[in-house]
Amino acid sequence: MASLIPKLLNNFSRLALQNSKKLNTRSAQVEKLSSILTKCYGTQATPYEIIDEEKDNKKSDEIIQKVQSQLTESKEGRLFAIVHLAGKQFRITEGDVVVVEGYWPPSCGERISLDKVLLVGASDFTLIGRPVVQNGLVNIEATVIEKTLSHTKTHFRKKRRKQYMRIHFYKIPQTHLRINRISIVGELNNPPEVSGLEKAIF
Amino acid sequence: MSNSHLFLKPAFITTPGQNGVGRYVCQLQRVVLKFCKNNGSSRGMREFIETKLMDFVKESPEVAVYVKPRRHRTPIIKAEYLNGDTQWVNARNFTEDEILKWLKLLKSQSSDRTGIRLRKLIHTDFPSVQGPWTPYTFRDPQLNKVEFPCPELTGPFINETSATEELLELYKRQKLGNVEESRAE
Repeated sequence: MASLIPKLLNNFSRLALQNSKKLNTRSAQVEKLSSILTKCYGTQATPYEIIDEEKDNKKSDEIIQKVQSQLTESKEGRLFAIVHLAGKQFRITEGDVVVVEGYWPPSCGERISLDKVLLVGASDFTLIGRPVVQNGLVNIEATVIEKTLSHTKTHFRKKRRKQYMRIHFYKIPQTHLRINRISIVGELNNPPEVSGLEKAIF
Repeated sequence: MSNSHLFLKPAFITTPGQNGVGRYVCQLQRVVLKFCKNNGSSRGMREFIETKLMDFVKESPEVAVYVKPRRHRTPIIKAEYLNGDTQWVNARNFTEDEILKWLKLLKSQSSDRTGIRLRKLIHTDFPSVQGPWTPYTFRDPQLNKVEFPCPELTGPFINETSATEELLELYKRQKLGNVEESRAE
């Protein structure tokens, strides 16, 4: 068996050598194409890439400083955020109205702050949480402006050949939320060593 | 099966007068509780007026509450909103708790929401901050300089090496191995 493989390979090589010129040109094309069409945005380094950690850190520091300077000069413009609210994710900016479905305790007129922020962005930068942006970095305020019921929905059940038919009608409670303010208040790139303690009860 | 929800009036979220931007304003203007003084269907309403109405009024000073007795008619709750909407709820045989629940709902609403189906559960005036996505976002700007027709870009994009290519590589490696072996000998 071991002796068979090189034999086979030799046979293949004879075949392949005829087309090798063609193949080489094709592979070159593919390389060129891939450089244009795809860019690897993953965190893993491509095998040919040489990673210089110092250089990388310098670059990221530069970027963070740029964002920080924008924030200190309050030149960031309109901010948007993706928040996790009652089991759903919403993309919100200032002045938005969001409807939360299902039973939700806050009552009309209450001001609440939304803490589960998955992402904050301005026109020039985006802060992405893994999975949530650090607590205290972003301040999002909202007001409950309305609590209503949805339209009547029908739930129809039928079993074939069993003389069974049911129609259930139901309404879902809805809460309208006005987003009042989104602002970045904390310090960038300076997460606390221990987090989550400020809300824990011992 | 009822398809009545299909013919509901579809609507987007509306808020009267930018409610909640500065402060919250209760949108319920007045409520009229109509009931009969001796009919059994108004019993819950009468009990509500005797026991719980004063608490409700104290809780909500912004709402004007009227009580209107009328003979031999079913009890109803009529609500009038700041935007002019009126809505009434048939309170026949309701208990006092049910009536309180409905009153609270009417108070927390901004208009008559019956017969309206919300099309979107979010309203925004700024649909995009960083610009909407296009096929060219996050692409290499080199693509701008490509002249068409471009044979490289029109063909199928194959990144994987084919079986023949892999075999060729194996063959090459084998050859190298042979050379090393011969050197060792």
